[in-house]
Amino acid sequence: MEDFGSTALRRLLEVHGSSVRHTHANLGDATVVVDPTHIVEVLRFLRDDGELEFEMLMDVTAVDYVEEEPRFEVVYHLYSLARNHRVRVKARVPEASPVIDSAVDIWPSANWMEREVFDLYGVRFEGHPDLRRILLYDEFEGHPLRKDYPKERRQPLVGPRN
Amino acid sequence: MPGKVVTVKRRAKLGWLERTYIPMVVKSLVTTSRHFFRNMRGFLTGKNLTFVVQYPEQTLDYADAFRGMPVLVGLDNGNPKCVACGLCEFACPTDCISIVPGELESAGIERYPEVFDIDMSRCMFCGLCEEACPEEAIVMSRETEIAGFDRKSLMFHKEDLLVPDTLLKRRLEFLRSEYDREHAPRASKS
Amino acid sequence: MVEDIRLTQRRTDTTEDDSERDLHTEHQILNMGPSHPATHGTVKFLIELDGESIVDLDIQVGYLHRGFEKECESGTWYQAIPYTDRLNYNSAILANLGYCLAVEKLLDLETPERCQWLRVLGGELSRLGDHLTRCGAACLEMQAMTPFLYGIQARELCWDLQEELCGARVTSNYVRIGGVKHDLPPSFPALYRENAARIRTLLADFDDVVTSNRIFVDRVRGTGILSKEDCIRYSVTGPLLRAAGVPYDIRKAEPYLVYDQIDFDVPIGEVGDNYDRYLVCVEEMHQSLKIADQCVEKLEALGPGPVNVDDPRVRWPAKNRVFNRMEELIQQFKSVTEGPRVPAGEAYTAVESANGELGFYVVSDGSAVPYKVRCRPPSFINLQPMPKMVKGDLLADIIPTFDFINMIGGECDR
Repeated sequence: MEDFGSTALRRLLEVHGSSVRHTHANLGDATVVVDPTHIVEVLRFLRDDGELEFEMLMDVTAVDYVEEEPRFEVVYHLYSLARNHRVRVKARVPEASPVIDSAVDIWPSANWMEREVFDLYGVRFEGHPDLRRILLYDEFEGHPLRKDYPKERRQPLVGPRN
Repeated sequence: MPGKVVTVKRRAKLGWLERTYIPMVVKSLVTTSRHFFRNMRGFLTGKNLTFVVQYPEQTLDYADAFRGMPVLVGLDNGNPKCVACGLCEFACPTDCISIVPGELESAGIERYPEVFDIDMSRCMFCGLCEEACPEEAIVMSRETEIAGFDRKSLMFHKEDLLVPDTLLKRRLEFLRSEYDREHAPRASKS
Repeated sequence: MVEDIRLTQRRTDTTEDDSERDLHTEHQILNMGPSHPATHGTVKFLIELDGESIVDLDIQVGYLHRGFEKECESGTWYQAIPYTDRLNYNSAILANLGYCLAVEKLLDLETPERCQWLRVLGGELSRLGDHLTRCGAACLEMQAMTPFLYGIQARELCWDLQEELCGARVTSNYVRIGGVKHDLPPSFPALYRENAARIRTLLADFDDVVTSNRIFVDRVRGTGILSKEDCIRYSVTGPLLRAAGVPYDIRKAEPYLVYDQIDFDVPIGEVGDNYDRYLVCVEEMHQSLKIADQCVEKLEALGPGPVNVDDPRVRWPAKNRVFNRMEELIQQFKSVTEGPRVPAGEAYTAVESANGELGFYVVSDGSAVPYKVRCRPPSFINLQPMPKMVKGDLLADIIPTFDFINMIGGECDR
């Protein structure tokens, strides 16, 4: 695997080489696909390493590759204020058990973003303090951004809660 | 890259005079009075300087580029210019246009829209239909007063949409001013 | 209610000293929202109060969720552009821009120079309008009607300019993949100069009645503090981060379009309270006007030129050719019915929107329909640390804090 001239990829391959599955730098975005079981270690390393200092978690989202296995790809975008560089970290989780460790301990901002991914994709974040729906209501059935959720599907009516 | 980082001038502490409210009261009264007398002058001289418009007696003139309700351009003989190619139907993000094409025997134009409906309750005035049209047949007019009492009345049919091109001069002129602009050859980033 | 129970459970955990127990005081839970006159955004707060001070706050968002990302996946790449307008009603052009830049990155496309200046001009007008709303509405919700009217008057002038440029005041739908909708109208520079002068006068009036007004200063100074470190931990961006003293502005850090040729300053604050946020926003408005001045000057100096790329796979062909030539007519049919095919891949671009980093992460599978369009909503992420900002403050401090976060429902809930 190659580092494409990116410091982040080079350091990751040096230190966490065994958990890295794949790297690429298409269109200039340094990207690393890691083993989902080591995601927290990798993210913590990226934040704490003296050469990288990715102190901001810009975005957490997921992509549903419905025909591939593992099906869901959780995508993290990190940014370093001190060094002004970015990295994208991805991890694949299977449909049967869409579970990945939560990054809330590393960045508190991951809280809402992970709740959103759980809400819209149904990926569960292990260790999240308060994993409930955020954009949709509790009675909503299914996870709407999954590719097998039809756009026209109607939801049952919910009465007043109290 | 020019430009720098500036720290905003924060008032760490207000002076004792400011804490008595008096200077601010005076200053604010001066500012608001200035506005009041300026608007009053405008009112007396008949030149409205405020932003309030007495709608519907008065209306504002929209900009040339303004996009109102989409309408069909009518030819001199009263028929629409539309040839029912269906491009606007494809371009519309909200699927609010529905067209049923019909055929004509005449020599000039062979196709015409038998049905041309726009569901105004779904239209979002994006103007993509106008941009897609290869015939200059559907344009965004300056009409904005399209409210209705029920959803049915917001379904506009061909007859409601047809506007003679003499009434759409300003929009057509604006569109034509853009026609001659050629596009720049593609430059790749890498 | 589910949430109430949660808060009650948390309450029993806290230890109270005896004197408080003797007074039989208990915490009160107040529902604020979802449609509250003092919040300009559809959001619900569940506030746990001890007297008048805030013990805990739970924010419920999602009232304006309308499936923006799902909707984008069902049309062509072009058809998503009008939906990005609806993300933020104050700064639609910035959202257009973010989306189009992300798709252009996937297509590896460079737009003509004139187009880039036009985009910057539109974006700065949007930013100006957004900040005017933020400061004006904040004053209104703190019972100051006059500055609100000055701010809204200035925004009206700003929106007139946007109407002149794009054809609509709010839902501009101006930026296209590989260009812009149309060129600068010839009447624009004169109107811009007139309106910019009036906006500057109104900003001066706004400053006169607000900035050193003791009532305003007492309400905003020292409230809603979020320190530099917390801002970074909570991924807060935009004026909130700059008010805390971090000079992070994507226009400077990773200049996109022609921002590297433009002279403007980045204002930062010291403490990170609402007063700093207000001052940073006011200064940014002046900077936006400065940038827009430069854009208009540059556009006049550049003279007429193309504003779109000539790539029939991406941008719809020029109209005169569609009317007169067979090939382009066929091309028009093909590009409208199919839309541009974007090469498979993924791209993330961020633009500095009025609220912070507005990022678009787009994934394409090589077809004419986006596989995934993710919008990183700055107001959603900036709203998250709000409980931290107001905990321990008074109930009334929620209002200015929420106002200066400037949560826009459409963007927060998508």
